[in-house]
Order: sequence, then structure tokens, then C-alpha cells
Amino acid sequence: MPNAEGITLRGIEKVFHGKTDVQALDDINLHVMDGEFLALVGPSGCGKSTLLRLIAGLIPPTMGEISVHGKTPKQAQEDVEFGFVFQDPVLFPWLRVLDNVKLPDRILRDRNPLHRQNPEQYARQLLTDVGLAGFEHHYPEQLSGGMKQRVALARALVYQPSTLLMDEPFGALDEFTRDKLNMQLLEVWEKFSATVIFVTHSIQEAVFLADRIVVLGPRPGHVVQIADVPFGRPRDFGIRYAPEFTDLVAELRGQLQADSPEQAAI
Amino acid sequence: MTSKLAETQQADTFLGRMGGALRDWIPAILVFVGIIAAWQVIDIVVGVPHYVLPSPAEIISEIRERALELLIQLGWTMLEATLGFLLGSGLAFLTAVVFVHIRLLERAIYPWAIVLQTVPIVAIAPLLTIWMGFGLAPKVAIAAIICFFPMLVNSTRGLRAVSPQALELMQILSASKADIFFRLRLPSSLPYVFSGLKVASTLAVIGAIVAEFTGADRGIGYVVVAASYRIDTQLMFAGIAYSSAAGILFFNLVSGLEKLLLHWPGARLEE
Repeated sequence: MPNAEGITLRGIEKVFHGKTDVQALDDINLHVMDGEFLALVGPSGCGKSTLLRLIAGLIPPTMGEISVHGKTPKQAQEDVEFGFVFQDPVLFPWLRVLDNVKLPDRILRDRNPLHRQNPEQYARQLLTDVGLAGFEHHYPEQLSGGMKQRVALARALVYQPSTLLMDEPFGALDEFTRDKLNMQLLEVWEKFSATVIFVTHSIQEAVFLADRIVVLGPRPGHVVQIADVPFGRPRDFGIRYAPEFTDLVAELRGQLQADSPEQAAI
Repeated sequence: MTSKLAETQQADTFLGRMGGALRDWIPAILVFVGIIAAWQVIDIVVGVPHYVLPSPAEIISEIRERALELLIQLGWTMLEATLGFLLGSGLAFLTAVVFVHIRLLERAIYPWAIVLQTVPIVAIAPLLTIWMGFGLAPKVAIAAIICFFPMLVNSTRGLRAVSPQALELMQILSASKADIFFRLRLPSSLPYVFSGLKVASTLAVIGAIVAEFTGADRGIGYVVVAASYRIDTQLMFAGIAYSSAAGILFFNLVSGLEKLLLHWPGARLEE
């Protein structure tokens, strides 16, 4: 029976068919608890983005089953349970920042006129929460990369999805901006009860953000290790200098190197 | 507060851009004035027969004296061009919409559209005149045909210029097909659509005039051809001047509409 709580993946396999078939994922078993912050870490080509898209119902698995609160990913997608933040901000350049954030509500209302439209105040509050008060009427092109990504975060949260899927959202940003956004993400997330699945190739980022870390090895993607992060919340940058932090980072890095020696430079 | 500030900033940059544009145009204007002046001087010094090459002064006086008559004829031409432009561009855009949604039709038709584009429009014009008579119809049809291809190519490209992630986002939001079209595909196609419309706007005027050459009793093309039979080069030059001015005006109208609709930064392709 599908578990009505959390997100469960059983025996997931994904093969992309083409001139030569590529197996992206092999026998993934995973349970994500409600309200958990889970990080998926691994080198490029380990299928972590694919895994995220499977959970979101954007692509179907070749084998195995996924249950999102007892529903199939497709059903959960139709119920708009997911928020998704891509590596690119994917903002609509013709809409001002505030209108970009309000876009999901407009679409939900087109589909169902009874949809309770979140008051504009809520979208504005979210923009304030991500530190963009005063930029409501700017166009995306007028913002920096980090600011665009914060708009994307606000847009993903505005309809209060139960699950927030993030695909290397800060991967294209410089280290300082990334640090700032990590902190801001945690602050905003603590206001929500959403489950977060966060894909990254940075072990440090994963340890800093997550409750639990799933380490994936490449070709085909498989679970190398699942580690608990021994820090409570709220967190601040100080924990990055704690011995437990550096130990965990070193341990996970060691696991990845043992799994795929040619990827030693992560 | 901030929005007001942004507005004044925009006004400043707008004025700045106008000034900059004017300065950018100065060399081109000087070349134009220089050529006209040289033409006038050569005309006086060398003494070319006036029925071969009238002097700029004579052409200008012709432009002024026969303004009303020529403007009325130009009005017909522009009516044909505008109707053809709207018809051809509209049909092309709708075809592009169909192409984007039904891939099979695109594969079946698009190659033939490209092949048809290579047929010289001048060669089809007499045929259309035979089929449709000497009235408005063949002129509109030729203007429409000549507008169709650049619009089809640009619209198809524009409607496809949507990132896979943007489509995934719409799927995540479980957006309807109508939402995906009107909220995503249509606005992101506009920069391409307008670059197609700008090409089409100049072609439409050319198409209408070419159609008038092959059989008409009014329009600026008719005026030019009729004047050529009488070796009235003065009138021919005046007709050419009016039709170029109209073409430039048409282009700038479309360009102005583009500036109005593509208001977001980075929207216009040629910038």
C-alpha cells in the first residue's frame, strides 16, 4: 500500500532511450518525511536532476513506483503540490517582479475560478522575506543573478506547495551570493512546513542546509550513502567551522571518491 | 517613491537616447545632402538632358506641385499594401501556431513554403492579375504573399523560442494549453514576430507596387509606369520619392508599435 505520508520511492529505474540507451538511475529506494529538508548530492551525470523530475511527475520512471502523499507524481502535480526552482531562474522577462511571483496564482485561477487567490499582500510579503522589498516593479533583466533566483524562490512558494523541489538553484552563483541565499532559504523555509528536496553538487551546501543527505554515485545513478546531519535549527554560518561539519563533509567526499575514483575532483 | 524615481530615470535615458540617435544620424544625413548637392551641380555643369535625369530642384518642385494627386494615388497603394500586410502576416502567424502544435503538418508543409519563397514575386504578379482582374484583389494578394514567408519563418521560430524549463514550470503549475500559449509562447514570440513584421512592412509596399506595374488604373506604381511611357522622368522620380517615403513611414509605424508593445528591457532583438 502506498504510504500516505511523505514521499516514497521504490525500486526506481530510469533509462533514456536514444541511439544508445542510457541508464540514468538504478534501483533507488528512498523515503522522504513530511517537512524534511533532504539534499541530493553527487557529481554531474549521477541522475540527481532526473530523480527530481521523476518525483515532480515531469518524466515517468522506467521501473518502480513513486508515492507522493499516497498519490502518483502525476496526480500530485495536478493538485499543484510541487514548487520547483530550476538552476536558471526561468522568470518571464515581460513581467515585472511582482507579476512573476503572482503568475502561479493567475494560472491556478484560470484553471479553477474558485481558487482562492492569495492576496497581493502575500506575494509582496514573500518578496520582502527574500529581501527584495522595493524591487516589485523592476523587470527581471534589471536584477542580478542572485536576485532573480530569489524571485524564482518566491514564485515557487507563493501557492504554498507541500513539496519544494530545487534543482541546483544556486549552482550558477558566486560563493558569497550563494552563502547569502542559503541563509535566506533557511529563514524562509522555517516559516513553511514544506518538504524540501534540494539537488546540489556541493557537499558543503548540502550539509549546511539539510536534515538528511542522500549521496548519489554516477552511471547509473545509485544511492551510495544516506547521512543524517547532526545540527539543529535555526542554523547559522558558525556551524561550518564545527568539527562535526568538516568531519561529515570529509566523510561524504571520501564515500563519493571511493564510489567513483575518476570523479575525485568534486 | 522608487517607481517615480525609476520613471524619471527612464525619461532621462529616453531623452539621452533621442539625442544619441540624432547624433548617430548626422553622418548619414550629411551624405544624403552631399549627394543631392553634387547631383544638382553636375546637372548644371554637365547639362544632362532633363528627360534623362531631371535635377533635384525640378524633382522637388514636381513633388510639391503634384502633391495632392500623388498622395491620392499613394493612398491606393498604401491601402493595398496595408491590407496585404495584415492578411499575409495574420495568415502566416496562424500557420506558425498550427505548426508549433501539430509537428506533422509543419514537416509536410514547411519545406514547400520555403520552395515557394524562391519563386520570384514579379513572375507571379501577371498570373494573379489574369486570375483576379485589375482591381484591388491581385495587389492585396501579392502584398500578402510577399509578407507571408518572413512572417512564417519568424513566427515559427518565435513560438518555439521557449526554454524547456519554462515549459516544465508551466507543467508544474498544471497550466492549460491556453495558458501555456497566451502566457508563455505568445509573449516570448513577440520579439521575433516584430522582426518579421518589420521586414514584411517594407515588402508589402514593394509587393503592391509590383502588382500595379502588371495592370492597374490607379496607385503610385501605375503613375510611375504611365509616366515612363511618356518619358516623364520628373514625375517618375516624384513617384519614387513618395513611395519610398510611404515605405519608411509604414516601417516606422510598425517599429513604433514594437517599441510600445515590447516594453520590457532586452525585448527587442536588434538591440
